[in-house]
Amino acid sequence: MMRFDDAAVRALARAEPGWFLDDRLAAFARFTALEWPDPSSEEWRYTDLKGFDLNNFAPPTEPLPLADNLDGVPEHVLAAMGDVWERDGLAIQIDGTVVHRRLADPLANKGVIFCDLATAAREHEDLLKDVIGTVGVPASEEKFATLASAFAAGGTFVYVPRGVDVTLPLHAFRWLETPGVLAAARTIIVAEESSSVTYIDHYASPDATTAISIGLVEIHARQAANISYLSVQDHGPDMYHFNIQRGEVRRDATLRSLAATLGGKVSRSVVESMLVEQGASAEMLGVYFADGDQHFDHRSLQEHSAPNTTSELLYKGALKGESRAVYSGLIHIAKDAQKADAVQTNRNLILSDHAKADSIPYLEIEANDVRCAHGASVGPVDDNQLFYLQSRGLDADEAEDLIVRGYFQEILDRVRVPEVRAALERAVEAELKA
Amino acid sequence: MAQTQTIEQKPEAKAGEELLRIEELHATVEGREILKGISLVIKRGETHAVMGPNGSGKSTLAYILTGRPGYEITKGRILYKGEDIAGTTPDARARSGMFLAFQYPQEIPGVSVVNFLRTARNAVSDTEMSALEFHRFLKQKMALLDMPEELVKRYVNAGFSGGEKKRNEILQMAVLEPDLAVLDETDSGLDIDALRAVAEGVKVVAAGNEVGVLLITHYQRILNYITPDVVHVLVNGKIVKSGGPELAAELEKTGYDAFREEAPAGDKGPLP
Repeated sequence: MMRFDDAAVRALARAEPGWFLDDRLAAFARFTALEWPDPSSEEWRYTDLKGFDLNNFAPPTEPLPLADNLDGVPEHVLAAMGDVWERDGLAIQIDGTVVHRRLADPLANKGVIFCDLATAAREHEDLLKDVIGTVGVPASEEKFATLASAFAAGGTFVYVPRGVDVTLPLHAFRWLETPGVLAAARTIIVAEESSSVTYIDHYASPDATTAISIGLVEIHARQAANISYLSVQDHGPDMYHFNIQRGEVRRDATLRSLAATLGGKVSRSVVESMLVEQGASAEMLGVYFADGDQHFDHRSLQEHSAPNTTSELLYKGALKGESRAVYSGLIHIAKDAQKADAVQTNRNLILSDHAKADSIPYLEIEANDVRCAHGASVGPVDDNQLFYLQSRGLDADEAEDLIVRGYFQEILDRVRVPEVRAALERAVEAELKA
Repeated sequence: MAQTQTIEQKPEAKAGEELLRIEELHATVEGREILKGISLVIKRGETHAVMGPNGSGKSTLAYILTGRPGYEITKGRILYKGEDIAGTTPDARARSGMFLAFQYPQEIPGVSVVNFLRTARNAVSDTEMSALEFHRFLKQKMALLDMPEELVKRYVNAGFSGGEKKRNEILQMAVLEPDLAVLDETDSGLDIDALRAVAEGVKVVAAGNEVGVLLITHYQRILNYITPDVVHVLVNGKIVKSGGPELAAELEKTGYDAFREEAPAGDKGPLP
């Protein structure tokens, strides 16, 4: 079995230019120097990695061959991917290697790029070099971020030139099936001035697989660009998933993000929106439904560093079984960010006696002319709503299910990709029946 | 139009048949006795008004009838269709034809009125309606109540005005076709137009199927539109007087104070 060492980094990078290998090796050196997250730190207080040992895992090795069309993609992977629908681009990765990718011709002709990172490093070196790693990662996530940078496999580079609208979504399906593998997907999205794109990172794995999945996501929304980034984590129940996402939003640009967490044994998602220029705005949605002994950890940052910036965060989750969820989010409004408008809301429905959720909002406001609101709740389904529905003939279970469905529907209504919305509605249904 | 052919036909309800019998009912909320010996009998097709000041136990009566958790019968009993309903769940009561129009209807965000109505209808009815059948059935009920189409597409009571919420309650009553409807201050908080619309709705729905109606109210004004067969005055957890519709008019003149001193009238009312 391959170990996590320099040789493994070199093996992974063999089809890449030297500078990219150097980046990987530097990341690996940094990774080696860093300690594992400390459970006594505020950032990792709720997620204990005690049972997690990297020595039980290995980086991916031999890349699988690239399939020209979907016929070359294994049937079970297509089945896991779900319905066929209209997209402008589709990339399928298995255990971190790209097995299929397609981008609509008219977009390619307009200069849109949608490819894996190794290809981008070879064919679009200048574009990639310009942006890679520039948004940075939070210090608390650096251990996993450097691991992902060193051993990134597959990955995605999306580049949308100035003024180009990618009307249908680009969909990356990341399937992980080999037990013990680490699949680190690095996604870099650049939308140039006044362009738009919707991109979906969709993670999945079979029920019996224990592996590590890392998403390292770097988003650049340039002036007046419009990006929707949707992350759907639908792994099997034995997976470790770490998602580190940071988006830099420039003047009058909009970044909409969705973090949907359904699977995994331990799933941590950090979503940061950096509103760095006037008029930048971010919508941050989160949806999660935990059961069994799942542990979900969601963190967020709404960083307002320029005036007239807007952010709205809404995370809604439900918990069954003995599951555990923690949400903690910070709104930071810098001194210069006058007229900033920030909203942060986290709701947790506790559907069993043994499930537990914590919701921890932080506010740090240095400007004096801002609007800032936050709300957090953790609790069972409302008794008054239950009685209302029971008085209409629904038994207690049916009543609770209907309330939970509605609870999620309210946020799913805001998911603008109908296929993702429908898939999440089905996931809620499945969780209710589980 | 033959739109009702697939709709469940209830067995012909007989007017005059006893529907609800409350005997010497005592009830507590959080250990505090609120109802202190109430007796009344409602027959199919009858409308009884229970009038009382704030804190007299009106809502407690509504909740104890419909089985709200936390409301306990400590003495006496409630016979509904001849059966003692103590210990039965609110949904079992709904399925046997009881309906409560809430004073404060709950919002159920994310659940559309139409979805809610269909789920509820299928829960109380023995025969399941398809989406199409239900759509036709609902259209008919909405026409009956002169309800705007867009209302049912919205989420249950979310962002509804007071009047819309109350009309939505009556729409639910129309769709669920109960045998006994308990209306808990359905008139409260409504302006005169909304009050008339809601009252007319109740009348239309109630008349259709020999529904027994227990109309709980603080004010006499809804009785300008719905003439009760019997009026009960509830003061401090007891029915202090029962009589015909003229009693409501009398109350309007004298106010509740005149009744506070009267002895409990358990045996003066029109009990058979």
